[in-house]
Amino acid sequence: MRALRCSAAPSIWTTWSPNLSPRIPAVPVGVLERELDRLEGLWGEGLSDTYRSYLESVSSHEPEMQPKLALAAALIEVGIRLQGLGGHAAPATTLLMGDLCLARASRLLADNATQAVQVAFAKAIEGVSAAAAAGKPSRPVRELLVHAFSAAA
Amino acid sequence: MIAGRLRFETSHATEFVDVTKLVREEVRRSGLRTGRVHLQSLHTTVGLAINENEPLLLRDFQKLLERLAPGDVGYEHDDFARRYEISIDEPVNGHAHCRQLLLTGFATLLVEEGKLVLGRWQSVFAVELDGPRHRELALQLDGEFAPLSPAGRGFRGVRRELAPPGPAPQGGSPPSDSGAWVGTESELIELELARQLRVDPEPVAAPMRRLMEAGGKRLRPKLVQLTSQIGPRHDALRAASLAAAVELLHNATLVHDDYVDESTHRRGRPTVAAAEGAERAIAVGDYYFAKATRLIAEIGNTEVTSTMADALEAICAAQIDDVALRGAFPGDHDSYLRVVRGKTAALFAASCASGALLSDAPPEVVEALRRFGDLLGVAFQMADDMVDFSPSSGKPVGLDIRQRVLSLPLIYAAEDRSVGPEVRRLLAGSLGDEEVDRVTELVTASDALRRVGAEARGLVDAAVRELESIELDGLRPTLVGIARSAVDRTA
Repeated sequence: MRALRCSAAPSIWTTWSPNLSPRIPAVPVGVLERELDRLEGLWGEGLSDTYRSYLESVSSHEPEMQPKLALAAALIEVGIRLQGLGGHAAPATTLLMGDLCLARASRLLADNATQAVQVAFAKAIEGVSAAAAAGKPSRPVRELLVHAFSAAA
Repeated sequence: MIAGRLRFETSHATEFVDVTKLVREEVRRSGLRTGRVHLQSLHTTVGLAINENEPLLLRDFQKLLERLAPGDVGYEHDDFARRYEISIDEPVNGHAHCRQLLLTGFATLLVEEGKLVLGRWQSVFAVELDGPRHRELALQLDGEFAPLSPAGRGFRGVRRELAPPGPAPQGGSPPSDSGAWVGTESELIELELARQLRVDPEPVAAPMRRLMEAGGKRLRPKLVQLTSQIGPRHDALRAASLAAAVELLHNATLVHDDYVDESTHRRGRPTVAAAEGAERAIAVGDYYFAKATRLIAEIGNTEVTSTMADALEAICAAQIDDVALRGAFPGDHDSYLRVVRGKTAALFAASCASGALLSDAPPEVVEALRRFGDLLGVAFQMADDMVDFSPSSGKPVGLDIRQRVLSLPLIYAAEDRSVGPEVRRLLAGSLGDEEVDRVTELVTASDALRRVGAEARGLVDAAVRELESIELDGLRPTLVGIARSAVDRTA
């Protein structure tokens, strides 16, 4: 049992205003409940929007896998944004929340994605972070991740 | 490029030693798909030849060499009265040197589709001209290598594999292994790490290379390699690939940790964040986090992938807990254990379990090793905490105090009846040099370090007990040794 909970780091949302629609459900029950442990705050603050934006990209995958794959992609996108990768470094606690997003996404992919998808996602992050380290612009993360889905589906 | 040595013994004065099979085996083990094998004799009385292995023909060759450089015609090289600094056992072998001049000391063989390119009747010979002796050929393989992941390829069951070349032999001094790569699997890890870093973009590779070259105990990859030998399916190359990925993953977490902890130095060198800035540190950590997960995925064992992913998630969650607990510094024993099991022990446990999974070890063995790694990881962290109070560690004493890092000696000292009140008071305030020194003094004077040491040793005992009921293919002493040394250390 995990006794501690860490709230979502709100600072990132000051630079990124999520388009929170009233149609978007709160934390989806069932399949994603476990996957949002410790990240509930992020869901309410924009992760849900990002998640929904990936649902279309995973339509060619097994139906029961689609929510988890979409969530994995959303967590990577939000995690990288939280960390400030390619921009200004996030404060320590926000970075750690971003790290947890990436780790959670990695576990979701390990448990639910094909090897090809896992590799494609990892390569996408490698590309973005290598560009950030070199101070060069990179293709948008979402574009890379959607491509990873389509390339490996 | 892979370098090594082929070693063999000869049994006659002149002997054509067919090394084709040995070279083929090294090509297979290396995974070289397309490229070249370079052979070089390391002796002035051993030549190389490529020809047909037909016994009568070999006698013809021998006779030819004897005709061209007879053994009884007198060679100036053998006139010891005219030579300087000759050893007491200097052989009379002018003829052998001259015969070697007729041969070659070098050969390059081509490799295509993973196979040595040789004509139907061609064999590769090392030609002994002054035997019998122990002999050595240098061997290098370069070109395109297959990924290190395919199952069942190469190195299976071989405990001692690839080695960097050692110094050239002196005066025919005997090497040990006949026709084998020499060295240890730990060298294979280093080679694999170097190989991985070589292909990465320099902005991420350079800081990571500096961090890795600065040292580190490589305990986690060592555990992967050892446990990968337990099951029936041992593949040293796959194990090395996994071990290297684990080490990269561990170091990626350190890069982010150092930024979070505002650490300026690690392993005696500036941290990536201190040297290159926070932005670069985040990118480097992310890159190697992703790369490690990719390397693990490419191994193609779903249980291993899930095990490592679970560990990574546990590490990140525990890191959040760790930072959150700093508000209640120094914390309590239960919180400490919870954080340490995630931050440190999770990867130890995953390393042990994933190596065993890779080798198809039985589930009960995998689980016992997972528990072993978990207990060892906690004990390791406790020992690490104690090092912070050791003046002989080579690290600044009291760094954990200064950075308000969770530390069991501090927790015990804060609970101590005599020194506890002062420790708690000091930790509640700002921590300058004077306060850190005083806290260190109080912890050292208290019973805290003894208690932590005893607890760590108790955990190692429990870890060792986990190994008692499982078949470990002779690896128990090594694992026990690693466990004991993980806590009996000062650095």
